[in-house]
Amino acid sequence: MSEQYKILHPVKYFRDHLAHKIRPDGREFGEYRPIVVNLGSISTADGSAIAKVGRTTVVCGIKAELCQPKAEAANEGFLIPNVELPPLCSSKFRPGPPTEQAQVATQLVADILKNSDCLDLKTLCIFPDKLAWCLYADLICLDLDGALIDACVVALMAALKSVTLPAVQYDPALDNKQVNVQERKALSVTNTPIATTFAMFDDKILIDPTVDEEDLSTSLVTIVVKEEELCFVHKPGGCVFTEEQLLKCVEESTKRATVIEEIIETAFKSL
Amino acid sequence: MSKLKSSCKLGILSRPDGSVLFSQDETTVVAGVYGPVESKANKALVEKACVEAHFRPKSGLPGVKDRLNESIIRNVCEAAIATAMYPRTSVVVVIQEMQNNGQLISCALNAACLALLDSGIDMKCMFAAVTCFIHKDESLVFTPPINEDQVKAMFMFVFDSVEKSIIASHTDGSFSVEQYKDALSLCKEECANMFDFFKKSLTIK
Repeated sequence: MSEQYKILHPVKYFRDHLAHKIRPDGREFGEYRPIVVNLGSISTADGSAIAKVGRTTVVCGIKAELCQPKAEAANEGFLIPNVELPPLCSSKFRPGPPTEQAQVATQLVADILKNSDCLDLKTLCIFPDKLAWCLYADLICLDLDGALIDACVVALMAALKSVTLPAVQYDPALDNKQVNVQERKALSVTNTPIATTFAMFDDKILIDPTVDEEDLSTSLVTIVVKEEELCFVHKPGGCVFTEEQLLKCVEESTKRATVIEEIIETAFKSL
Repeated sequence: MSKLKSSCKLGILSRPDGSVLFSQDETTVVAGVYGPVESKANKALVEKACVEAHFRPKSGLPGVKDRLNESIIRNVCEAAIATAMYPRTSVVVVIQEMQNNGQLISCALNAACLALLDSGIDMKCMFAAVTCFIHKDESLVFTPPINEDQVKAMFMFVFDSVEKSIIASHTDGSFSVEQYKDALSLCKEECANMFDFFKKSLTIK
């Protein structure tokens, strides 16, 4: 009976649950879903990770290529994230060019990387104006069940930390490069930004929403925290938040960030 | 602290239902609104109007960065327009960037609000966007520093005209919670000036 009720009156179904201070999946308002991180899942990539936030699954593979730096930033390499939402992850997507949601997610992940300054692009440069590393971070969503950015950031940070680059010797006089695949070095990732998404429905704030909750909610906020500092507070619109509500969300996301950081560290220890 | 100089010209285009040439300091955009118009069958919503936003950069084709701007503009407009009054229709907001001096998104949003007001479409509230910057020396300013390297962080807030609560928030760079609070209260004060400016511009017209 409850299944039919959910399909016929989705809003009322949701509201009835919330009135009893519980969410349809059995969580409390401030309770987030379990997070799983798996490292080195793709052996052909230079660094990879799978992150699961509840049922939302994102695979991140990082491939490194040698390239010439841009003229305006001659001593910097590149880190290019790309979020893919294939038809596999949700019935909302069809095969074809990237959807708007995928493009927005790509831009958000790129902004988070830039804002947090977690990887100094200068360390990717081998010889100014001649040779640098270009890291392509492909994030593929296998299952979309809300909080996409959260999962993407966890997968990306875990993958970045697991990247090892071969040593390269460059002779500028002869324009000759030698790659030593045996001797690999890890990247120096300076901090770990962690994203937390909140959904608002009828003045109630739900942490880490599922896709059903995201669709029904009137507004979403994504907060990114790194080392006690904020580096992204993104609320694209929708219904209004008061200052107190927003600051409460910031507090919650700081707490969650420490937990997730520990999860990533534990994953590295067990490697 | 220096206030922002805003200026606008309403109804500069003949074809759109509402249009505006809007500038804040050195940043200038043109906005046009068509709506409510007939919407494509796959986009039509049964119970409300569908809001579409198009953001055109100064040169070249819109890229991934512009998609993010579009999604912010669309979401903010959706919150402000009384969409339930126009079911099965579309409201199209088109923004053309003319010059960018740092506060492009907030300028685009303010222009969108003026264009919507000019078009006469029913709205639940007005909205005003304010951008502020944190210098490397930790001071808060509205006008962006001439040298981009001097900016530590950028904040953009959108407030509604009824309760002055936050419709949207977008940030750049990293900052502390205290700085976020300071920027929020500063922008909240400034948004009142924006709403006065909107009202004045409409009465002159």
